[in-house]
Amino acid sequence: MQAPPAFCQQLLDALPRVRRYARSLSYDASHADDLVQTVMERALSCWHQFDQQRNVLVWLLSIAHNAHLDHIRRDNRMSLLEPEHLSDLQDANATHGAHDPGLRMDLLAALDRLSAEHREVLLLVGVEQLSYAECAQVLQVPTGTVMSRLSRARTAMRAALDGHPKATAHTNPAIRRVV
Amino acid sequence: MNMSHTRPDDELLSAWLDGELDADALGQVQAWLQDHPEDAARVRAWAADRDALRVRLDASLDQPLPQAWVDRLSAAAAPAANEPHWWRRALVAGLMLASGLGGAWVQRHSAVDAVPMAAKAAPAAIEPWVQRAVAAHAVYVPEQNHAVEVSVQQGDAAQRQQQQQHLSQWLSKRLAMPVTLFNLRSEGFELVGGRLLPDTASPGAQLMYQRQDGQRVTVYVLRHEAPPKAANAPDVRIETVAGLAAMVWYEDGAGCALVGSLPRAQMSKLADVMYAQAEEAAEGQPVRQ
Repeated sequence: MQAPPAFCQQLLDALPRVRRYARSLSYDASHADDLVQTVMERALSCWHQFDQQRNVLVWLLSIAHNAHLDHIRRDNRMSLLEPEHLSDLQDANATHGAHDPGLRMDLLAALDRLSAEHREVLLLVGVEQLSYAECAQVLQVPTGTVMSRLSRARTAMRAALDGHPKATAHTNPAIRRVV
Repeated sequence: MNMSHTRPDDELLSAWLDGELDADALGQVQAWLQDHPEDAARVRAWAADRDALRVRLDASLDQPLPQAWVDRLSAAAAPAANEPHWWRRALVAGLMLASGLGGAWVQRHSAVDAVPMAAKAAPAAIEPWVQRAVAAHAVYVPEQNHAVEVSVQQGDAAQRQQQQQHLSQWLSKRLAMPVTLFNLRSEGFELVGGRLLPDTASPGAQLMYQRQDGQRVTVYVLRHEAPPKAANAPDVRIETVAGLAAMVWYEDGAGCALVGSLPRAQMSKLADVMYAQAEEAAEGQPVRQ
C-alpha cells in the first residue's frame, strides 16, 4: 500500500496519541497495539479519502473507535455481558483499590474504574483536547451526548478519587454503539 | 430577574470549563461561579483532575514507537518498486520546467524521497492556562458593550487615572500578586479595562487594549510558576492556538500571555514593550500610564 510521504509523516506523528487512546479502550496492551496497527493499515488504504482540511488526529481516532467496536462485535465475551454483570465485574475489579479510602487514589487507577464511555470522553476532551464537536465525530454520537457524558464522567472520576467504590456502579452502561 | 440566580447544571459547568459555551451562557455561568464558591471549587477540582491526567498521560507519548510501525510507514511512503521512477521524475520535471521552476524543485523532491522518516516526538503541549487565555480573548474581544468588567475609560483624565488605580489594586488583591497595567500607547493601544476570570489554582486577570481602528489585543496574567525550559529557549515564546497568536512568558512567579491576531512582527513588538515594563515593575519602578 503506497501513500504520499507527507501523509505517512502525518500518520507517524499522530501515532503516539492514537496508541494512547487505544490503550484507554483496552486494558490489554497487546490488543491496544493491534488496534493501532489496524488503524495504520486502514488509514494507509484510505489516505485519498482524508480531507487535508480536517484534523488528522480526529480522523485517526474515529477509525480507532470503529475498529474497536468491530472487534467487540466479533468478541462474544463482551457482547454477552448484561450491563448489571458488567457493573458487578467492575465492582469486583474496583474493590482491591478501595482498601485505603483515606489515601488519594492513583489517577490511572481511578480512570480504570470508570466505564469505557466515561474514559473515552475524559481522554478525548480532557487529554487530547478535542472540541465537543470533534469528540462527537470520533464517537459518532450527538454533541449533546458528549456534553452530558463528560459531566457525568467528571463526577465519576471525582468520586473514584475521593474513594467511593460504588459511586460509578449504577451509571455504567455496557459498551455499545450509539448512533 | 438576574439569570445568575438560576443554578447552572453540571453539564453547563462542565461545558464552561471546556470553553464550549456561547457568550451569553458563559457570562451566566461566570456570574454564578463568582457568587458560589462551593460550585467554583467543584469546577476547579474537575479542572485539576483534567490537568493532572493530562500531565500524567502526556508522559506516555514519549515512549518509542515499535520499529515495525516506523518501517511500515517508511515503506508505504517510498515509491513503489515497480513504478518507473525516472518516468515520474521526468514528467514532474517537464511540467516544472514549463513553468520555469525546474531544477530546484526536482532536487528537493528527490531529497524527500531519500530521507528516511524520523519518528518525531509530539511537540510539547501548550500549557492549559495559555489555552484559557486564548479562549478568554476569543470570548471577550467581540463584545462591544461588555468587553470588560471594570472600565478605565469613563469620565475625564483624573477619573480615568483613578479607575486605573482601582483596577490595578483590585486585580492585585484578587490574584494575590502585583498586577501591572501595561502602557501600550507607544504602539497605539489604549487600555480599555480588565476583568477577573476563574482559573484552576487561583484567578486570572484579563486586560484589554484597543487601537484607534478597533483592533484589540488582550493580556492574561495569573500566578504561575515557570515550567522548566531549555537553556537556549527564548524568554518570550510564541504559540498559535486556534488561529490566534499568544506571546507567552513567565516572570517572578507569574505567567503572562499577550493574545491577538496582529502580524507576528507587531505582536513581538508589543511583547517587547510589555516585557520591558514588567521587568521595570519587578524592580519597583511604577509603569507610567
